[in-house]
Amino acid sequence: MNLKCEEAVRQFFTYLDHSLAGEPLETLEEHLRECLDCCERLEFSRQLDGVVRARLEAGIVPAGVEDRLRKCLANLKGAQGG
Amino acid sequence: MGVEQNLRQQSSLKASQLAGSPGTPDLHSSSRCSSFEELTVPHLHAVYRLAVRLTGSAVTAEDLTQETYLKALQAFPSLREPSRVRAWLFQILSRLVTDRHRSGNHEVPIEELTDLERFSLYDRIAEEDPFPYSDRLHQDFLSQFEDDDVQRALQSVPEVYRTPLVLLYTEELSYRELADVLGCPVGTVMSRLYRGRKVLERALWDCAKRRGWVKEWKP
Repeated sequence: MNLKCEEAVRQFFTYLDHSLAGEPLETLEEHLRECLDCCERLEFSRQLDGVVRARLEAGIVPAGVEDRLRKCLANLKGAQGG
Repeated sequence: MGVEQNLRQQSSLKASQLAGSPGTPDLHSSSRCSSFEELTVPHLHAVYRLAVRLTGSAVTAEDLTQETYLKALQAFPSLREPSRVRAWLFQILSRLVTDRHRSGNHEVPIEELTDLERFSLYDRIAEEDPFPYSDRLHQDFLSQFEDDDVQRALQSVPEVYRTPLVLLYTEELSYRELADVLGCPVGTVMSRLYRGRKVLERALWDCAKRRGWVKEWKP
């Protein structure tokens, strides 16, 4: 089955999330082998995902926050006799 | 009553349940196998970080994390599969976030879905060509964004789309796991992720306009 570029682009996110399988995956990969424009668009979507992931990664829990949260949970431990 | 005080009271009330009351059949696998603390504390950082990503506020995130653990304690006897405690905590947190947005009317209005789905950041960059001397136009465009730009763009995505997106990006959950956490079919997860990414693309384009990287911006 031939895939139109518009249909291929719509499946990029699912493809990048490793959630495309079976015939739809084969059809998309077949289209990508023949369509340079879609390959470039897919690469852009992959890079955009990478940028968002990287920008969201930096997240350490501040010591004060952790202390307060652990204090709350310590009360639970006491209540359980642990 | 503060969340912490409430949490203390709840912990006292539930202590007997967690230990299993004598004479009462213990139907709860979670209380049989492990304590509430043993199961949930290892996920404290993950819950807090997710709350920060979902709300964009450290103060709100701390409050939501406490609320999540309070709700988790209340519902602990109903946890049938201790192995999925992390997803279970995320589920509680995402419901709390949804409830807050509903009651606080924080939903961001979005344009008609047809217009949204037609939007292509790739095409906009190519049309505007903000870096005419670049050999890697799209890559250079993306590299301009700083942490705050992305976080702000993400906060402009309606909560219904933002939660699956953040879970996908930060926790690497599969569509099946996302459906489990969000309590919706996999097909709904797919459409929310698609629309969420489109809203995010649009928000990043708006950011580029505000920052003066493209000409379209008219204050």
